[in-house]
Amino acid sequence: MTSMEKDYMDRYIYQVVRRLPRAQKSEVRMELEELIDDLYADKGSMEEALKELGDPAEFAKQYRKDQSYLIGPEYFDTWLWFVKVVLICSAVPIVAVSLINALTEIPDLPRAVAGGLIRGITNALAACVSAFGIVTLIFTVMEHKKIQFEMKKAGKWSVEALEPVPDRKAVISRGDSVVGIIFIILLCVLLIFAPRLFSVFLKDGGSFVTVPFFNLDRWGTILPVLILSLLAGLSDEILRLVAGVYCRLVLISNIVSGAVQIVLSVVVLKLLPFWNPDFLTELQAAPGSTGKTWLLAHWDPDLVSGVLLALIIVLTLAETGVTFYKTLRSKAS
Amino acid sequence: MGGEKELLTSLLLELRRGTLTLSVLSQMKEPKYGYALVQSLEEKGVFIDPNTLYPLLRRLEGQGLLESRWETGGTKPRKYYRRTEYGTEIYEKLKAHWTELSAGMGLLLKEDGV
Repeated sequence: MTSMEKDYMDRYIYQVVRRLPRAQKSEVRMELEELIDDLYADKGSMEEALKELGDPAEFAKQYRKDQSYLIGPEYFDTWLWFVKVVLICSAVPIVAVSLINALTEIPDLPRAVAGGLIRGITNALAACVSAFGIVTLIFTVMEHKKIQFEMKKAGKWSVEALEPVPDRKAVISRGDSVVGIIFIILLCVLLIFAPRLFSVFLKDGGSFVTVPFFNLDRWGTILPVLILSLLAGLSDEILRLVAGVYCRLVLISNIVSGAVQIVLSVVVLKLLPFWNPDFLTELQAAPGSTGKTWLLAHWDPDLVSGVLLALIIVLTLAETGVTFYKTLRSKAS
Repeated sequence: MGGEKELLTSLLLELRRGTLTLSVLSQMKEPKYGYALVQSLEEKGVFIDPNTLYPLLRRLEGQGLLESRWETGGTKPRKYYRRTEYGTEIYEKLKAHWTELSAGMGLLLKEDGV
């Protein structure tokens, strides 16, 4: 073998080996040296020998056979589903929040809408790319480590154990769950980043003066409880989305999350100083008069708390009732 | 027609892929190095590209059907593969299935009788 031929052999081997995982490199290199040397002895020329082996990239592909994809068929469907949900749940709230933010900053409505939309879409795009990346990264790791996870109870299937086709009314609408999730995320984002939006807006010349409803001085104490309550609702919605039909698990989750939400609402509205204690004085001092007089006369934080609490309890109970009813009916059919 | 040729090639590839493991296992009772295996298969009319064979040998080793060791005594280091006990067990079973399968295929194709 001339030094030139040896050089070509090394080049070929390098092109194969560089495409392989580190752990395989040195062993494969030795294997290839042996093989090419044999082929060379057989064919009489390095060119013939290497041509016989074909494209080094293809050769490397054969060695890596089961690792040439990020997410294999086993995980693909779940990944796709997750990506869709995550993209929708990040894009919609971001556009909405940007829009709302713009509306409060700029008094000129068309400009505010345009600006908000542009900012919202830009931010949403960036967020979607990150969300896509993060979900894909998680699935890539799962694929690589072969982490098994089952969305539904796994086990040997049998003809008897085939689940009955769910009644059309027992199927939980994915759209509803996604809308619920988006709403909760939106509310979370607003409560965290823009609690001042929940204010009375009074026009003062070209700008707005705001008088917040909430007690922003104590927001650090109030916010975590609010978020906890929203997270309870969020996990319930996610569970519904994953389960897809009314079943005992969905019912239990709904009851637990409902109870948590009611308790936390009582904490926020009755125990914590939720409302702005200086609301009336600040409102009095603020410029403008339209609508102000009515509020000044009628603002009663205890009453508002009571009504809100009643509303939350009634709605939560109603939702649990509906879930209970639908679960029972799906069992009966 | 390029399409027809391509289709035939891919079908043929698929057809042969299933037989590769059996072909290789059949030759591995005694230790053999890769290129000797290529040649012994070729002599019997079974052609397999080295770039398919070498990775396949590694996979079979990973599955515990073959074992390997490097011989450094000769003019250059050589990697010898041979069937493990488990490999022989699996090979015998595969062989029985193959015999059955090929008898069945024989019947099917004879029935068609072109």
